[in-house]
Amino acid sequence: MANIERPASTNEVATVATPSSSLGALKRPVATTGWKSWLFTVDHKKLGIMYSATALFFFIVGGLEAVLIRLQLAAPNGKVLNADLYNQMFTMHATTMVFLFVMPMAAGLANYFIPLQIGARDVAFPRINAFSFWALLFGGIFLNMSWFLGGAADGGWFMYAPNSGPIFSPSHGIDFWILGLQLTGIASLAGAVNLITTVLNMRAPGMKLMRMPIFTWMQLVVQFLLLFAVPVITVALFLLSFQRNFGATFFDVSAGADPLLWQHLFWIFGHPEVYILILPSFGIISEVLPVFSRKPLFGYPFVVFSGAAIGFVGWGVWAHHMFASGLGPVSVAVFSISTMAIAVPTGVKIVNWTMTIWGGKLQFTAAMKFAVGLIVLFTIGGLSGVTHSVAPSDTQQTDTYYVVAHFHYVLFGGAVFGLFSGFYYWWPKVFGKLLNEKLGTWNFWMMVIGMNMTFGPMHILGLQGQPRRMYQWTEARAGEGFFNLGFWNTFASVGSLVLSTGILLFLINVVITTRSGKVAPLDPWDARSLEWMTSNPPKEHNFDSIPTVSHLDEFFHRKYQEDASGQMVKVKTAEQVMQELEDNADAHIHMPSPSYWPIVLAAGLPVIAFGVIYSIPIAIFGGVIVLFGAYGWAIEPSTAPDDDFDPPATTKDVVHVG
Amino acid sequence: MTSDSHADGGAHSSTGLSNNKLGMWLFLGSECLLFGGLISTYMLYRGRVGAGPRPSQVFDIPFTSVSSFVLLMSSLTMVLAVSAAHKGDDRNTYLWITVTALLGATFVGGQVYEFTAFYNEGMGFTTSLFSSSFFVLTGFHGVHVTVGIIMLMSIVGIMKRSKVPGSKAETVEMIGLYWHFVDIIWIIIFTLIYLIPA
Amino acid sequence: MRRRVVGAVTGIATTMFLAGCATNAPQDTWKPKGPNAKIIDDLQKPVFAVAGIIGVIVTAAVITAVIKFRDKGQPIPHQSHGNPALEITLTIIPALILTVVGVFTFRTVFDLAKTSDTEMIINVTGQQWWWEYDYPVQNEFGITQPIISSGQLVIPAGTKVLLRETSRDVIHSYWIPALNGKRDAVPGRVHLNRIEADKPGIYAGQCTEFCGLSHANMRMEAVALSKADFAKWVANQLKPYTSPAENTLAKEGEAVFMNQCTRCHQVNGMKRADGTPVIAAPDENLVSGAAPNLSHLMSRNTFAGATFDLLNTTCRKDVWGADSESFGAKYLSGVSEDCLNQTDLRGWLRNAPAMKPMYANPALLASTGGKYRGMPNLGLTESDIEKLVAYLLTLK
Repeated sequence: MANIERPASTNEVATVATPSSSLGALKRPVATTGWKSWLFTVDHKKLGIMYSATALFFFIVGGLEAVLIRLQLAAPNGKVLNADLYNQMFTMHATTMVFLFVMPMAAGLANYFIPLQIGARDVAFPRINAFSFWALLFGGIFLNMSWFLGGAADGGWFMYAPNSGPIFSPSHGIDFWILGLQLTGIASLAGAVNLITTVLNMRAPGMKLMRMPIFTWMQLVVQFLLLFAVPVITVALFLLSFQRNFGATFFDVSAGADPLLWQHLFWIFGHPEVYILILPSFGIISEVLPVFSRKPLFGYPFVVFSGAAIGFVGWGVWAHHMFASGLGPVSVAVFSISTMAIAVPTGVKIVNWTMTIWGGKLQFTAAMKFAVGLIVLFTIGGLSGVTHSVAPSDTQQTDTYYVVAHFHYVLFGGAVFGLFSGFYYWWPKVFGKLLNEKLGTWNFWMMVIGMNMTFGPMHILGLQGQPRRMYQWTEARAGEGFFNLGFWNTFASVGSLVLSTGILLFLINVVITTRSGKVAPLDPWDARSLEWMTSNPPKEHNFDSIPTVSHLDEFFHRKYQEDASGQMVKVKTAEQVMQELEDNADAHIHMPSPSYWPIVLAAGLPVIAFGVIYSIPIAIFGGVIVLFGAYGWAIEPSTAPDDDFDPPATTKDVVHVG
Repeated sequence: MTSDSHADGGAHSSTGLSNNKLGMWLFLGSECLLFGGLISTYMLYRGRVGAGPRPSQVFDIPFTSVSSFVLLMSSLTMVLAVSAAHKGDDRNTYLWITVTALLGATFVGGQVYEFTAFYNEGMGFTTSLFSSSFFVLTGFHGVHVTVGIIMLMSIVGIMKRSKVPGSKAETVEMIGLYWHFVDIIWIIIFTLIYLIPA
Repeated sequence: MRRRVVGAVTGIATTMFLAGCATNAPQDTWKPKGPNAKIIDDLQKPVFAVAGIIGVIVTAAVITAVIKFRDKGQPIPHQSHGNPALEITLTIIPALILTVVGVFTFRTVFDLAKTSDTEMIINVTGQQWWWEYDYPVQNEFGITQPIISSGQLVIPAGTKVLLRETSRDVIHSYWIPALNGKRDAVPGRVHLNRIEADKPGIYAGQCTEFCGLSHANMRMEAVALSKADFAKWVANQLKPYTSPAENTLAKEGEAVFMNQCTRCHQVNGMKRADGTPVIAAPDENLVSGAAPNLSHLMSRNTFAGATFDLLNTTCRKDVWGADSESFGAKYLSGVSEDCLNQTDLRGWLRNAPAMKPMYANPALLASTGGKYRGMPNLGLTESDIEKLVAYLLTLK
């Protein structure tokens, strides 16, 4: 669909012309339905759905990897996985969850909702957007092909050198890991440029930065973090791949290298990365809590500035992952202090969320449950994080299950719960149907109970001395008493099955809703922000007319006014607000056209990666595909020009845009 | 990669920069971190020559100074190209872009010659940590220059067939931004690697 | 209903937390047995307490809000946008708490880094997947020649020991929780860590930096002996080698050992029939370049990176469970034939890679230039194993 010719009356559906040819040789893709319309789309909404579906798939993959780990550790001297497979399993579980689930899921929600929240019709660079998605998908597939081609990476997701070098890890698994992450890194970087430009340049009239929805704000911080953090891990990955594939000695101690170089490069990326993982979920619940408390976010400016502060200070704490690495007491002390400092802006948010629900009119939909769950669970995880910030204490805790407990509370209880809150909240807008609330309640409680059963005991396991990354434990070293380490290992494994059941309930909910779910009203939650001021699902061009914004929570302010006695009363329904937009519909809306080039260019990348591992001519062939794709892309206009199209034959009021 | 998407509601952008320009600035910001990582690695390993030659034994500062000057001049010609594009002077735009590309190619050619000489003097990619870091840093820079040259020549070819989408001047300006950035990085690299003794 | 569920969950969680610890977990980080671990513990317990209190306050606040402000049909609430004074107060309070914690942390970091009062130095080298200890000459402790041992780090109790840690291959980490936090052992670097035990005893530890296949099986113990007992231990370690008597099974075992084991394992003082000293060459045969020195093997009571016990179950309980007064004598008596854990030792000799995963697989030797990683399956006959065990028992 290239041009949407808007007839003067709003009753007629816009018709679409079929392109005849473009540049003589390659026609522009034209399908509006069917698989081709997804393959070549540049519509941020379709891309958002594809990102999220991909992420959900990898969530299941990562979850299965986790369950296998827990099954191995359910009993002493486990026989489910041997040492080699176990090491691959925990490496891939972490890599999959971080890079192929949380990040793409956040990207999917950002893609779908940022343009809607700021009153735009798409992102700044729609084709780059499509390219980002395909690069991510191909990167994720490439990474996981290692399972079938000689074994997956087995050096831990942090891949410390020299263990990750060619001598100690000769199989190709780590090469797949390196190159797969380079691909997903390209996707993230392109996405960051795209979304920052979108947010800074394409806001609706009147939407000052401090009137932006908080989800968009948090995502803006995330994109800046990505912009600057991804190049650092790119360097680290290049150096390691040059060592593994071309004989360089960057991490080879016998050649004089410093093994700590890898750690510094990785964690300078790795610490901002954890804020990349959590801030989107902070943004989500900062939207959800106000809606279901029927009052605004408490201290919006504080939440914004604390998010930016976290993004900023987050660059100065990386070596807290290296307290035991031999940095010397001065560095250790400095990073310890800076890590304590970053707890302050994080803690502020907890205050803000609690005060948002305080005094509200709380409606405990599934989305709200997950949001409230995040507040408590993230606090627990954050507090264990504060105990880590005390460096001497951390030298007892690091590399034990206590750390595993910490980050699973903040990542699962924090990031994942936030994402689930977003699912239940935004599902009706994206798919036009409401997820089943009863199943949602069961989903929530199973996940809460399962999560605490799995990760709660890990605090005890860690403090009582069980290290991480151990493929088996023995009864002899599990201490005495009924509640010894063995008991808690088994307990945690049972918990992981409860947790899995909870996730399964969500998937069942999705299937049932798709088949026979309740059709959602336009504004099921009486929400506050602009993405709700659209149809279910939004039209391709999002808004018939771009709204002018005069408040934070603009949509809410169009529906509600304060009466004489200070009470909020509803003056317009959502339908009425929508009608206003439609009545003022823009006559001519140019939307970016679908394109082949993003997927073509993205397809060249895994070919290059294969070539690097197996045979350089293949890499060169991949490079040719990339060049071909880049060239085709460069000469293609983002919106197909009108002379590419036959004029539509039917509607009477079409104005030919010349 | 021009985005003439009217989906952005026209050229009214809150920052005053077009999407393309803002996007390029952001990309260059990330490139600072990329080169920052590579430069840090080089600075860490610059003294670790192992059994291989030391920098003072292989560097030919006068030669590299000349090729640096060539690259610097290419930034000047790039400025002239952008100026011509703004004036709508197609002929001079093509001329100055082509000269820029040629100067850039001369620079890259100089690097190829230089690296070949190093290799023949016993300093290969894997010889020592110093040599690996040197080649990775200068190599990445060289690749960036080469990509710039390809972009320059492509834009001349595409513009001559009037097929470039969007405003010509803005496209030339964007590539100009990239080109100047690559030049500035070279000034930093040249200073740190060649001029400051290890 | 919701209140009951919340109450039930809270109740269960609290009970679990209070009841739920192992007793005598060998690597418990909250039971310091030396001054360094105690310094850490003194710092961390108040921090945990404060964190716990804050956690309870936040949870209570949220649960209260959830119950008190649920939708009971009240009108849309006052659209409060915030309360800057409250925000700033609730920002300053945690900042102040953290400042206090920060000051104490700062001091503790430097306290733990002090090395000027070191009394004894031991060099610790990690490699896949065991620890080697080199005691440099220190006459004040009777160490008149360097001692090389592995697995069990023997130290005098009440003595400020400084470990100088490094690695021969990848990054490992040395951690004896009862005595101090961990410190990474990094190839190409030397890191310092202080170890001091208050009383005699045996303190378990583990490698805590992922180092490959058998990372989970890379363990060690610190063994603290009274000063007198330590002197006895040193004297024993410096005793010259005595070959087994002729025509004994052990003597035959010595021959098997020389044939099969001395490629990698060194026993100090061992001589061939022609009088030449036997020097092991692990650097030629192993990726990491070293194998445990087996001199006086039976003066230790674990082997294979402290993964397996040399003592059988009864004797182990006796030695490991001894109180600090009687521990020294029991430890010094070493491993006798009655106490030997025949199963594990024989299993190891029979097929080491089957007991502890290592890339001792000949098929993968191409990638390591022909060198083994860890001990290979030597294909020994049962009779060889019989002889070897008899011989090893003489290494007291």
